[in-house]
Amino acid sequence: MSNSYIFRYAAILVVLVAVILSSAAMILKPLQDKNIAIAKMRGILEACNLHPTADDAVQMYEQFISREVVINPQGEEISIYDVKSKEFVLGTTRAFEVDLKTQLKHKSAGEDYILPLYDFVSQNDTLLVIPVHGRGLWGPIYGNIALKTDRNTIGGARFFHDKETPGLGAEIDQYWFSDQFKGKQIFDGSGKFVSVRPIKGGAGKLPESQRIHGVDAVSGGTITSNGLGTTIDHVLGSYVVYLTK
Amino acid sequence: MQESINIFVKSIFIDNMIFAYFLGMCSYLAVSKSVKTAVGLGIAVIFVQVITVPVNYLLNKYMLTPGALTWISPRLADVDLNFLSFIMFIAVIASMVQLVEMIIEKFSPALYNSLGIFLPLIAVNCAILGGSLFMQEWEFENFGQTVAFGLGSGTGWALAIIAIAAIREKIRYSDIPKPLRGLGISFILTGLMAIAFMSFLGIKI
Amino acid sequence: MKSQQKEKESLFSPRYRKLISNPLSLENPITVQVLGICSALAVTTKLKPAFVMALSVTVVVALANVVISLLRNGIPSRIRIIVQLTVVAALVILVDQVLKAFVYDVSKQLSVFVGLIITNCILMGRLEAFAMANKPWPAFLDGIGNGLGYSWILIALGFFRELFGNGTLWGYRIIPQSFYEAGYFNNGLLILPPAALILVGTIIWIQRSRNKNLIEEY
Repeated sequence: MSNSYIFRYAAILVVLVAVILSSAAMILKPLQDKNIAIAKMRGILEACNLHPTADDAVQMYEQFISREVVINPQGEEISIYDVKSKEFVLGTTRAFEVDLKTQLKHKSAGEDYILPLYDFVSQNDTLLVIPVHGRGLWGPIYGNIALKTDRNTIGGARFFHDKETPGLGAEIDQYWFSDQFKGKQIFDGSGKFVSVRPIKGGAGKLPESQRIHGVDAVSGGTITSNGLGTTIDHVLGSYVVYLTK
Repeated sequence: MQESINIFVKSIFIDNMIFAYFLGMCSYLAVSKSVKTAVGLGIAVIFVQVITVPVNYLLNKYMLTPGALTWISPRLADVDLNFLSFIMFIAVIASMVQLVEMIIEKFSPALYNSLGIFLPLIAVNCAILGGSLFMQEWEFENFGQTVAFGLGSGTGWALAIIAIAAIREKIRYSDIPKPLRGLGISFILTGLMAIAFMSFLGIKI
Repeated sequence: MKSQQKEKESLFSPRYRKLISNPLSLENPITVQVLGICSALAVTTKLKPAFVMALSVTVVVALANVVISLLRNGIPSRIRIIVQLTVVAALVILVDQVLKAFVYDVSKQLSVFVGLIITNCILMGRLEAFAMANKPWPAFLDGIGNGLGYSWILIALGFFRELFGNGTLWGYRIIPQSFYEAGYFNNGLLILPPAALILVGTIIWIQRSRNKNLIEEY
């Protein structure tokens, strides 16, 4: 077989494969995006102590999330989207479409950034949901923290970590862990921001007055626990201007 | 720097390619009958892993992730080539293996004679592609970390195959139930070694 | 006309049926040929991902076998391996995209292991050994057979590991709460990676004690 045949063969194969793959990617993209959106909605609702399934997540989201708000570094609301009427009250950016990871990167690079948050209203609860994003040792940690109307006490939280040592390792996506956050406070008595962090060996190790700012860390996942602590500190810290307004 | 060392240690002992993820089991079981060949294959894997993981990291960062192409033109910010990552990674691995083979052959015939036969085997070793895919999944932050991860995961794999080869050499003289000989006992031994390796989970890093 | 009919009749002739049944036991890709365990053991902690993984591998092996078998007379032998890799990688990407679109939860659990089907040794093994030398239909059957032989081991592992390690099957609780109250505990070891290896070892042991031909001399 001649070289030119090999080249022609390879070229045709590459073009064919490229066409098939890109059309498949294009056709399936809307479905994939929808799945990602549903996962994000579930994360937000789970932080508000609801348990939506993949099927009713969208409906529950529209029922309970009243507003999506985008704020700037000065803590000013620059965009408000009313979920029920599907209309913008202010600005043109939906918080749901803001990628927190990218914005945090902008922040650490010293560039301009925006931050998303969500208003949750149900019969029993009115919560302000703040998304968080950061790193464990292996892979990203993400989740949501819901604050009560005093903008200090945590009403619910939920975290995810895609990759961990199977079985053991940090189980920060377990409910026993995230449920500990309920009732903890992110500001101290004098109104100073102190965040909430996982404490190795248990929150009981802290002095009495500090216990309201700590939860039990997961065993065997020191780095992930520390990573989560830093993440919460870092991300909530960015919202402090807004929260104290 | 400290982060890189953590990743290095963790990828050898805790997230060991064989004991935690079972990657590269085919060659692990097929080429572990003698320590000498196991050492050869182990070194070749470390070698290829250290090269392919960082190269694929660059490829991923500057080509495949959504918006990665902005360095060519800002208009390409919406392009998402992520669906091509499998095919790109395997292409890089196959060509890197070929390249490494040619370079070694040219500059160090002695090394080529001892490693040469293993190199083609490596292109389809799951541990190599696995390393690159984990690199993408775990979103390492910089080049140094990917080198640390490549070195660590390769070393972990080499350690595993050398250890099992040593055990299999000795076990020749043991009286194992007949149906368990060969493959069966190798699996069970690997399982026991994996349990032993789990004790490393306690390392505080 | 007559010959065509003959060919059709022979679609499931004994020889072809063997292509499917042999890999299930005598030539099982995992327990006898030691091929392709890499990409699979890590996802057998639960039945559902194990099942989806098994299905994906079967689909990819069967289709890759057919494609390569159709191309077999045209492939330049010097770039044979690359062509095979390209076809396999393209199929795996398709499977990955479909999983992400239709069973997102499972695709998250499978994470990188779908991609690792590319380097699954069963694939290259079957392509080289069978598809390059056979017509599409037998190649397809061979792919299905090997895929199934691989699948039953994965599913068996997923079954045992989820049932005894977690007390559930397919996510539904099987072992009733009253058992736990009576002092029953889930066997946490089964969820951990080493258990998968020991279980595979045990399956091989059982299979070989029933079929002495398979016994190895060290």
